[in-house]
Amino acid sequence: MPGMLEIMVQNMVNIPLIQPLVDVLLKIPVINYIVALILWRPIFAVLIIPGLGAIMLVLMIIVWWERKLTARVQWRVGPLEVSRPIGGIMQVMADGMRYFFQEVIVHRNAHAIYFIQLPILAFLPVLLPILLIPAGPVYAIRSDYAIPAIVALIALIPVVIIAMGWASNNRFAYIGAIREAFMYFAYEIPLIFAVLAMMVLYGSGDPFVIVEKQTVPGILLNPVAALTFIIATVMATSRLPFEIPEADQEIAFGPFVEYSGILFGLVMTLAYEKLYLMSLLLTILFLGGWNGIAIPILGDFMPPFWLFLKAFVFMLIISLLRSIYARYRLDQALRIGWSSILAISIISIAISYALVLTGWLP
Amino acid sequence: MTGMKEVREMSIEVPVEPPAEYESLFIPVPKEFVEDAYRKDDFIVFIGPQHPGSGHMRIIVRLKGDFIVEAIPDPGYVHRSMEKLAENRLYVQNIPLLERPAIMDFGNYNLGYVRVIEEALDIEVPERAQYLRVLLAELGRIGTHLYDAGILAVFMGHTTGFMWPFAVREFIVEALTHITGARITGSFIIPGGVRRDVDEKVLRMIGRIIFTIENRLEKFERVFIRNPTVVARLKDVGVLTREEAIKYGVVGPFLRASGVEYDVRRVESYEVYDDLDFEIPVGDDGDGYTRFLVRVEEIAQSMSIIRQVIDRIPEGDVISSDIEAISRNDIRGSFYDALAKITLPAGEYTTLTEAARGTLLFSVLSDGASNVPYRLRFVTPGWMYLKGFMESLKGERLADLQAIYGSFGYFPPEADR
Amino acid sequence: MKKIKAEKLGLTESVKRHLEAIGVVVGEVIVPSTITIHYPRERRKLPDNFRGLILFDNKACISCFRCAHICPANAIVMEHRIAYFPSIDYAKCIFCHFCVDSCPTGALRPTKIHDFVYKDMDEMVVHSEEMVETPEIVREDSFTVEYVFDGDVQLVKKKEKEELVPEVKPPERPPKVAAALNPENCISCRLCVAACPTFAISAKEEKTKIILEINVDRCTACSICNKICPTSTLGLVDR
Repeated sequence: MPGMLEIMVQNMVNIPLIQPLVDVLLKIPVINYIVALILWRPIFAVLIIPGLGAIMLVLMIIVWWERKLTARVQWRVGPLEVSRPIGGIMQVMADGMRYFFQEVIVHRNAHAIYFIQLPILAFLPVLLPILLIPAGPVYAIRSDYAIPAIVALIALIPVVIIAMGWASNNRFAYIGAIREAFMYFAYEIPLIFAVLAMMVLYGSGDPFVIVEKQTVPGILLNPVAALTFIIATVMATSRLPFEIPEADQEIAFGPFVEYSGILFGLVMTLAYEKLYLMSLLLTILFLGGWNGIAIPILGDFMPPFWLFLKAFVFMLIISLLRSIYARYRLDQALRIGWSSILAISIISIAISYALVLTGWLP
Repeated sequence: MTGMKEVREMSIEVPVEPPAEYESLFIPVPKEFVEDAYRKDDFIVFIGPQHPGSGHMRIIVRLKGDFIVEAIPDPGYVHRSMEKLAENRLYVQNIPLLERPAIMDFGNYNLGYVRVIEEALDIEVPERAQYLRVLLAELGRIGTHLYDAGILAVFMGHTTGFMWPFAVREFIVEALTHITGARITGSFIIPGGVRRDVDEKVLRMIGRIIFTIENRLEKFERVFIRNPTVVARLKDVGVLTREEAIKYGVVGPFLRASGVEYDVRRVESYEVYDDLDFEIPVGDDGDGYTRFLVRVEEIAQSMSIIRQVIDRIPEGDVISSDIEAISRNDIRGSFYDALAKITLPAGEYTTLTEAARGTLLFSVLSDGASNVPYRLRFVTPGWMYLKGFMESLKGERLADLQAIYGSFGYFPPEADR
Repeated sequence: MKKIKAEKLGLTESVKRHLEAIGVVVGEVIVPSTITIHYPRERRKLPDNFRGLILFDNKACISCFRCAHICPANAIVMEHRIAYFPSIDYAKCIFCHFCVDSCPTGALRPTKIHDFVYKDMDEMVVHSEEMVETPEIVREDSFTVEYVFDGDVQLVKKKEKEELVPEVKPPERPPKVAAALNPENCISCRLCVAACPTFAISAKEEKTKIILEINVDRCTACSICNKICPTSTLGLVDR
């Protein structure tokens, strides 16, 4: 339909670097629809950056990076054999291919339908918030309530993990699911309070307003809220020292104990995707979103590039925590969540109010 | 006390059947135990042999919510019947057999067994050989404590704390390789001394290795031993009071962490330990953290012992003159003629040794005529403190099971022999 | 006695220790202290007394069976070639080198080869003729790494291939010869005549007695005749 093409071309992402190629492709009959669809702003946001394409890239690099970084700290070398000349970076692809060839075992006592479909369904609460995260002019949905909606959608992910633990019908999976439920109670309130503190500071829940107001990055304005958010992120994505639902040595991997093959691969990436999501949120709230040095040749691609880069660098740094800490016990983590972290998050709201009242925000 | 409300327990008799999996598998607990747990709404978990945090044994845990009510051990998965195997081998052929339970502690295991033979035959060991044996024993002690520290770290999820002690252990293995020729199964101590002499260059290298280990362990201390998460996991966890530790027969550094000062090297000294200057670390709390700290201090004491050995070792033979050998510095060429025909006089001979994890007992019963032992009995420290380990689990949370396991350093191949 | 005391952590102490732990790890990221040896491209330098594969010198062996008797794992089986030579079953061998230490002439020698594989179980029984020369080794390594301890350990890499078969001197064996220590015990069973590997003992019949003659040049003092004699007639004396 001719109308469709015009609508898509009008709202197209404008990247001067590849514009000549796009102009050529738009003249070819069928391909012009596909190219216009991919470069249509909302689809570009969900499919390429900061959506699926960026998630794939992040997953490929972050696993390798984490293993190499941990190995460097631990006086060893990390994965090196798979593609030796480039430092072993293809290891993740090799692991992924191995998962494809491994047999997916659905044991007799499991609720087979839920067991198989839940890892795939788990992508839903992970990808939905991507719709609401804008990257400058590349966005899918713009709303005044984007940030609270993102937090609400992130809160859906533990439900899927608990459901996976229940569907596995295994006592270790059950213990892991219970721990995930408890941990959810531990981190959710401080997380909400930290986000609330920043929304109070900026006066709006719209990411565009928030990023515009960050001439000074949010992390310097309210470092207490940043600290709370970071600790809540570590709790939420099962990173050491809070790797409690998936305690490998205590409950043999918790809710994911019965998964094998490609389902296991999907399940393992779930935690990293959640981390990516929360790093995007952290970048928008605290690190200045998509503000950055202008690169005119990238045009419309520049804001998503900066957003992605900042989120990615944060993820790279957080993966160092794995080499530093041991795992807390569940009741200790709950105690921390409900006493220390909650206190800090309430202090951060107070700081935000103080900053707003004194009109200190530039 | 007045004013205290009476707590009544209500329970409804629900006819609950234990699941079918308990019928088909071999469960080493009586069926009434399982049904009783189900009726009382307790949870039975098998921390089984195929579990990332269980070692080669099964622990049957009865949970009430998150708290362990009872823990029943199921050891024996690695039982190799060493005591029976030893009855069919010559006395000297048992040396490689009996050093296999402990991974790096072959010095102490060899010492315990060989001292039985020397006591029975009244063989006098030259002083240089005694110093070399003490060197091997202390190197094995450091290696085993590092191994246990690594296992404790990995049971708590601290992967750096696992890799670093194993890397440091690699230096100790390098030292053992230069002395004996093998990495961890030395078989180096024979009745009458050691198999060959160690030259001056190797001893100087061991001195430098000890210095390197100290440097590397200082980083380890900051990242693991003083880490607040580790302290939080281990402090006041798995407490064994002094009376309980004595009652359950706990041995070794785990007994010393509960306040009892008992070390076989001081109580019934052997080799040259009387001449060496070292202290016994004793703790008071009896919790997991104290047990760990006692072992860390023992590493420091062992390093000091090794330094004294390297300084004080006298020149001399390493093979006793009671053994017929070609050369007094190298058993090569006369191993068979000197040692294969050993026959112990009739009687029972027992030695106690302080292995890394506790008191090691060797006892040989000989009938006076055969060149194989009539009966060999040896009890490893792991077997002795298993009961104390299980008792310390009661009342702790499920997540503490791994922390307590690591703090005890229970090693199933050693306990099962 | 040294008292071990662990104090409770207050808030400042706890924060200080957190920062210390993070500091150590960040220091390791910036300046790593890797101790990995990239086997098989690099090979670790092993000491000369390393207990690896065993090589055999069939000219020095005197078929005394000592190695087979002492092996704790029963891995040595003597097979008849020119005389009885040992064959080692590497499925059972525990590399304790008791056999190497027992050999009176040094016919069994240690090497530094520790990484060899066989395709099936039958191949693991290595016969004596296969043990004479160093086996063909595919050397994938081009560097030799040595741990040098000097303050902190350094990996000293040299671009050379390590010699895997060290020179070992045979043990100095005092010259002995078999002789009848208790000639009155002899019952003329002539087991010693049949057992001697070098045919050094011969029997002569002389009316009602059998006289055994030991050829001193042929006797290698292997002491098989001592062991096989049922009445402990024979023993070893110095030449």
